[in-house]
Amino acid sequence: MQPPAEHVHWLFATGFLLLALCLLGRAIVGDEVWNRRAWRAYLWPSLLFGLGILMWPVMVFFTNSTIHMLAHGAWAQTMMLAGAAELGLLRGKLHARAWRLCLPLALAVSGVALLIHEQNGWYFSRAAFLHHALGWTALLGALFPLLIVFRPRARAWGAGLALTLVVVSVLLYSDRDVAPVFGHLSPLAGEPHR
Amino acid sequence: MRRLLAVALLALALPAAASAHATLTWTDPVYGKRIERSPSVVRLHFDQSVDVLPNAVRVYGAQGRLLSGRTRTSSDKRAIAVPVSRLPRGGYTVRWRAASADGHVVSGVFTFGVSMRAPPVTAAAGAGGPTTAEHLVRWLYFLTLALLVGGLGFRLLVVRGRLGEAGQRRFYLLVGAGVIGALEVGVLAFLLRAEDALQLPFVDFLYGDLSPLAKTRFGTAFVVMTLGYALVAALVFLAWLTDRERLLWPAFLLALGFASGLSLSGHSAADAGSSWLSELADWLHLSAAALWVGGLVQLAFVIWPLEPSLRRQAFLRFSRLATVLIVVLLGAGIYLSILRLPHLADLWNEGYGHVLLVKLGLVSLALAWGAAHHFLVRPRLERGAPLLAGIPRSLMGESAVGMAILLAAAVLVDSKPPPQPVQPLNASVEQR
Repeated sequence: MQPPAEHVHWLFATGFLLLALCLLGRAIVGDEVWNRRAWRAYLWPSLLFGLGILMWPVMVFFTNSTIHMLAHGAWAQTMMLAGAAELGLLRGKLHARAWRLCLPLALAVSGVALLIHEQNGWYFSRAAFLHHALGWTALLGALFPLLIVFRPRARAWGAGLALTLVVVSVLLYSDRDVAPVFGHLSPLAGEPHR
Repeated sequence: MRRLLAVALLALALPAAASAHATLTWTDPVYGKRIERSPSVVRLHFDQSVDVLPNAVRVYGAQGRLLSGRTRTSSDKRAIAVPVSRLPRGGYTVRWRAASADGHVVSGVFTFGVSMRAPPVTAAAGAGGPTTAEHLVRWLYFLTLALLVGGLGFRLLVVRGRLGEAGQRRFYLLVGAGVIGALEVGVLAFLLRAEDALQLPFVDFLYGDLSPLAKTRFGTAFVVMTLGYALVAALVFLAWLTDRERLLWPAFLLALGFASGLSLSGHSAADAGSSWLSELADWLHLSAAALWVGGLVQLAFVIWPLEPSLRRQAFLRFSRLATVLIVVLLGAGIYLSILRLPHLADLWNEGYGHVLLVKLGLVSLALAWGAAHHFLVRPRLERGAPLLAGIPRSLMGESAVGMAILLAAAVLVDSKPPPQPVQPLNASVEQR
C-alpha cells in the first residue's frame, strides 16, 4: 500500500516548486506589492508549515533504516519551525528579529541531515550524487535567508532563496531509482526494478 | 564549468540499480507469521545484490540456542539462505546482516513461529528487555502527555476566557513543550525499543531495518501517535496564531484519544486476561492522571502569578474537577491491579508487586496532600478569606508527587506482571 519513494519525492518537489514560485514572485514585485493581499503574505510560510506536517507520515511509514527515519524527522521539524516562525512574525505574535534565523537554520540543518544520511561518495550513483547536491544546495542556500535577516529589502537575496528552492525541487524530481522524468530519456538510466 | 555540468548530467543518467542500501524485500518463512511445519532453510531476498558476511544469518530458539548452519548466497546474489535443523514447536528469531553493493552493512531481525504464533520482535531471543533508559524515556513521555492533555483540559474545563498576555504565553509555552516533547520522546522510545530488539553496535544500528518493529503492536501505536500528535501540534499552533481558542477543543480531544495508543499496546491489551474493559480502564487511568498532574502544573505556573480573583476561581473549579479525576483514577487503578495481581501475596512476592507498592505509597501521599487542599484551603477560599502565601509551593509539591507517581507508573508499565493462574476447565468440559 506504500507509494514508491520516488512518488513521495516528487510530491515534495512540487511543494518546493510552489514555494519557490511564491518567493520568486515576492522578490520580483517587492514585499510591499506582494503583501498587499493578506492571503499572499501568508501563502509561502503556510505552505512550508504544511510540508513539514506532511513529512511526518514519510518518517513513520518509511522505516527501512534508523538514519533514514531520523533524517526525515529532522526535515519535518525544521520545516514546521521555519514556517511557524514566519507565520508568527507576520501575524505580529513574534517580535524578535532572531526568529528570522529559523529559516536559515532550517535549511542548514536539512542540508546537514541530507549529507549525513547519504553515506556514499558523490559519484557512486545518481541518488548519491543527488543527495550530496541537495545537501550542499541547502547548506549554501541557507546563506540567502541569513543575509535577508540583515538586509530585508535586498531583492537579490530573496531571488537567491527562491532559486535555491527551484534547484532543490529539480533535484528532488530527479531523485530515486525509476524516475521517468529523467530516466525515460535514455536506456542508460537502467531498467525499472519494481 | 562545462565539465562540471557534464558530470552532473552523467550522474543523473547513470543506472540506479545500486542507488541505495539493500532492502530486505521478503523472507521465507514470512516474518511475523506462524508456519505449521519446520522449514529446512531460512531464505532472505533483497532488492539488490548483497555479499555474505560471516554468520550472516543466525536462527535462534526461544532459549537463545543457535540452530542454523553456514550461510549461502544465490547465483544472482540477491538472496541468502541458511540451513536449519528440524525446528520443534516454538518461536524463533532470525538475526541477519548483509553487505550492500556499496559496502555498507545492513542488518535486521525478525521472528516466526512453528505451530504457534510468532513472538513479537520486541521479545526476540537476545533482546534484553526494558532498560533504565527506557524507564526514564517512558516517564518523560508521561510527563509530556500530562503537560499537553492536562494543560489543554485545564484551559478548556477549568479556566475559560482569555488569561491576559503573560498568562496566554505561559499556557502556550507549557502546552507547546508538551506536544513537542510527546513527538520527540515518542521517537526516542521507539528507537530504544528497536535498539534492544536489534542488538547491534551503534553504527550498524543506524542502518538497521526497523520495519519489523513498526509492524508490532508497539510500532503501530508509535506510528498512529506520532501522526496524531503532529496534528495536535498544528492545531495548538493555529490556536495560538489566530487567537481562536475553539481550535483547542479538537486538539484536546485528539490528544486524549491518541493517548489510548499506550493502552492499546501495553499490558492491558496484550497480556492474558486483557479485554476491551482492561484497555478502557487503562486509558481512563492514564487520562485522569494526565489531567490531574497537568492541571496542577497549570495552576501553579500559569494561574498563580495572575490576579487573585482568577487564582481563587481556578483553584475552586480545579478542586471540583480533581475530585472526579481521583475517583476515576482510583477506580480504574484498583480494577487493573486486581486484574494483574490476582493474589494479594503477589504484592510482596513479585517484583511487579514491589513497584506497585511504591506507587501506592506515593498515591497515598498525593491523596493526603490533595485532601489537605480540598478540606483546608478550599473552604477558606469559598469564604473569601485571603489567599495563603504557601499555596503555590504546596501546589508545586503536589505536582512533584504526581510526577513521582508517573515515574513509578513508567517502571510498572515496563515490568512484567506475574503469570495469570491457569483457568480451570468448566464442569461440562470436565465431564466430557
